Amino acid sequence: MSWIPFKIGQPKKQIVPKTVERDFEREYGKLQQLEDQTKKLQKDMKKSTDADVAMSKSAVKISSDLLSNPLCEQDPSFLAMVTALDTAMKRMDSFNQEKVNQIQKTVIEPLKKFSSVFPSLNMAVKRREQTLQDYKRLQSKVEKYEEKEKTGPILAKLHQAREELRPVKEDFEAKNKQLLEEMPKFYSSRIDYFEPSFESLIRAQVVYYTEMHKIFGDLTEQIDEPGLTDEQREKENEAKLSELRALSIVADD
Amino acid sequence: MTVLFICTNNRGKPNLMDMGSLMIKPIQRVMKYPLLLCELLNSTPASHPDHKALQDAFAAVKDINVNINELKRRKDLVLKYKKNDEEESLKEKFSRLNIHSISKKSKRVTSHLKILTGGEPQVKDQTFNKEEKLFRSLEKTVKFCVKNISFSHQHLQDSMLLAAQNITELQGILHNKDDEDNDYSKMLHNIGNPCEGFVDQLEKLVLTPLSALQALFSGPQKLIQKRYDKLLDYNGCLERSAGDELDLTKKDYEALNAQLVEELQVFNRTAMKIVMNCLHCFITLLRDTMSSAFQSYSTTVVPVPLSSSSICEVQNQVMEEFHNLNFVKEYSSATFIERKLSFEKKKPPESPRQTESQRSKLLSTYSTELLHQAKRKCNATQEFDIDLYEGELVAVVEQKDPFGSTSRWLVDTGILKGYVYSSFLKPYNPAKVQKDVAETSFCDDDFDNISLFTFYAVYAFQARSHQELSLQEYQRVRILQFSDLSGNKEWWLAEVKGQKGYVPANYLGKMTYA
Repeated sequence: MSWIPFKIGQPKKQIVPKTVERDFEREYGKLQQLEDQTKKLQKDMKKSTDADVAMSKSAVKISSDLLSNPLCEQDPSFLAMVTALDTAMKRMDSFNQEKVNQIQKTVIEPLKKFSSVFPSLNMAVKRREQTLQDYKRLQSKVEKYEEKEKTGPILAKLHQAREELRPVKEDFEAKNKQLLEEMPKFYSSRIDYFEPSFESLIRAQVVYYTEMHKIFGDLTEQIDEPGLTDEQREKENEAKLSELRALSIVADD
Repeated sequence: MTVLFICTNNRGKPNLMDMGSLMIKPIQRVMKYPLLLCELLNSTPASHPDHKALQDAFAAVKDINVNINELKRRKDLVLKYKKNDEEESLKEKFSRLNIHSISKKSKRVTSHLKILTGGEPQVKDQTFNKEEKLFRSLEKTVKFCVKNISFSHQHLQDSMLLAAQNITELQGILHNKDDEDNDYSKMLHNIGNPCEGFVDQLEKLVLTPLSALQALFSGPQKLIQKRYDKLLDYNGCLERSAGDELDLTKKDYEALNAQLVEELQVFNRTAMKIVMNCLHCFITLLRDTMSSAFQSYSTTVVPVPLSSSSICEVQNQVMEEFHNLNFVKEYSSATFIERKLSFEKKKPPESPRQTESQRSKLLSTYSTELLHQAKRKCNATQEFDIDLYEGELVAVVEQKDPFGSTSRWLVDTGILKGYVYSSFLKPYNPAKVQKDVAETSFCDDDFDNISLFTFYAVYAFQARSHQELSLQEYQRVRILQFSDLSGNKEWWLAEVKGQKGYVPANYLGKMTYA
């Protein structure tokens, strides 16, 4: 406690044993770290859900732009493909939305609720600290009177100081004990709290990707003609591009 | 070379030609035929059986020549305009401006306006128009595809990465250094980024061809523009002049038109194929990305999956446990009030409050005229002052303090003796005790400044059960508790005229008085 400017207010003897202090610091340290972790996770989850929403919006944009293209009227096979793609994208969007909602309910809100416990904890620790300061102050006052000569008014003051000290000391001990008991409990109960969220997060992803896999598998089967492999398509593209370049109307590169 | 030399030397000197004269031979021959046939036709009498055939032959050969000419014109025009428009600086453009080009341009503008207003008969080519439309749609398609596909894939990557990151973070929270059995990291080797390999594929198979295709649109674009100019010229000449000028513009226009029509058809077909191919690749790629993500997520072992409602139950249970923790109980409502107050007060060590036994001791020890009651909460300011809560009973021991001032009195609260200002005290009237007792019981709550806030009912409220309290509009109420028995902060325990009950919090408004 070296930041206290007035050394006068310090009691001579150590009123809080070092081990207790150390335990307290350790437990509180763990909880502070947990608080930071939950805050960060909250922020990141928000970013992630925003990214998910942005992704499905842009996917739907691909297909809707294509659909609104006049090319669709002119070429029926193109129209067929684009309509199928559009349906698939819209389904992807709705599944994505569902996933986001699920995650919102089972992960993000619980996170918020969990974080709301921390202010109380911090307040309790602060109060304990204040009580400790008062305890120390009164303790040093008592010691000061104890050292002086034992005259009448001094004795009266000493008695009064001791009377003041007693409730404060009891208060501090109570607060300290309470916190030391409850902090580890709180810390370990986070596991029970977050386990379901964790499972639900993974499960939401699994469900989503199963659906996606199915949707796009169906789509490829629906529109795919002679099922060319990627390399074949690539070669064909190259050939077509060179054919185009050979046309006289196309500018030389 | 020497062999050739020997050959020619050995065989005498046959028709020696250089490359140039060799190449011009076909052209000369083709041009000779009409002349030959013409002479033949002229010297054939009309009655000869071959005359008709000769005439047809002559016409056919002339046609061939014209066709060759036109074909050559087409290619020349295309070449001319293809080269012309590349990388011209502004200065060069200005240098080409002369009377001739300006008049040409102005004629074109008038023609264009005429076409827009659709007045006179115009030259139209339906095939060309169809092809042009197709061309334009294709261009738009390719542009959109490139933009949208690259955007959406970027987003897909981001979202997958973030999701994997979050799972790792959550797992970090759950990680328990001391307890290895419960360690979740075993279940989750690497969600990793399922998207990684696919970015390159996308580039290669979809985006590169499409971008290349996009670049190819600009050439034909220019030529289409030029064709339109020629059309305008032709249109302009149609009504005005005749003869050579008309002929020339007509030929120009038709040449360009025909060339474009033919090649645009090829272009459109091919471009269409490329677009379809790329779309196919894109869809296949999406499918593969999704299935790889599916693989990596489903390999993580998840213990008994719960439905979302049961998740809520489990978590609410844990929250209940939290709320039972003392520090939460004491301070959660304190933070609620502190938000309203928005400053933090350092609480001095509390002096114990007066209990009933202490009051009765005072009553019995001291006579009634010495007994006083604190009108309001007094805070100790000087040495030997004591704190008093509103309504606390004190017995006056001395009506003056050590310095002789009569405004500070020495009082006994039953626990402590100390000084308070006499203006805070009023004589104790046992008859009024009953009412005051009810009022002072608020001190049980740990809210320092509760006396600063009183609430009033903004709207009237009708109690629906005996646990609720009816309120009239603008009625003042005293709040005993800021939540109901189950912790619901929407219902507050209020008291009015000695009656207690729950009222909805949003019906109440704050009244502050200093």
